[in-house]
Amino acid sequence: MVPPPDEREDADPGLAAERTRLAWARTAIAFAAVGAAILRRQPVAGLIVLAITPVVWGLGRVVARGEGHEPRARRLLLVTVIVTGVAVLAVAVALLSHGPASLRDLLPYVR
Amino acid sequence: MPDHWRRPARVTIGELTGEGAGGGATSSRDGHDDLGPGSSDAGTEPDARFTLANERTFLAWNRTALALVVAGLGIVQLLPPFPGVPWGRHLLGVPLIVLGAAVSVIAYRDWQRTQVALRHRAPLPRSVLPQVLAATIAGIAVLAAIVLLVSAVR
Repeated sequence: MVPPPDEREDADPGLAAERTRLAWARTAIAFAAVGAAILRRQPVAGLIVLAITPVVWGLGRVVARGEGHEPRARRLLLVTVIVTGVAVLAVAVALLSHGPASLRDLLPYVR
Repeated sequence: MPDHWRRPARVTIGELTGEGAGGGATSSRDGHDDLGPGSSDAGTEPDARFTLANERTFLAWNRTALALVVAGLGIVQLLPPFPGVPWGRHLLGVPLIVLGAAVSVIAYRDWQRTQVALRHRAPLPRSVLPQVLAATIAGIAVLAAIVLLVSAVR
């Protein structure tokens, strides 16, 4: 469990900031993947999620600036709010999807 | 926790990004604890590398959350229906999506608690996320087995 001292990073602590920027980029790409996956069946919902991608990307660019605890906490809270919103959207898409033998077939009175 | 995990603050965000020394090392806690333990702003700014590592962990959990959402959505939208169990896909997919939302919320709470611990040079809190993830996925796996069995019997 004990990581070895990261000597290379001690020599250049900027690598930690670089890794964090890359982590934000990966997260933005993950949003793009989710949006593309939804896009197939639900174009509107998919486009909404795709529109989040540049927002998250931008949030990652702000990270590098020096800032206190509260602005950082607010930015990360925004990510959680967005992910939770995407999950709510996904549940709605799942329940309303027109796939064969979906939930609607269980509830004939909905039709 | 190994000692070198909580060495005193040596690198500030400003130093990392070339925006000035920003006060440099503030390993002494004089005058910085006035806000009290209840405030998340209390304590001293930790080594920027710890702050950044904490943030990357939060982001990694959120990518996991998004993967769960996509997996749940894929089950509902892409799988053909289980014969005889028309609600089977929703039974398996919707919990995965809900788990995704829960992982994201818990990840934020964990990030906040870890950051507060770092600010006070305190031991890092344990995360419940591995247990939540393992328990829920195990439960969904059992559900999947039941759905398959019911589907086979009918």
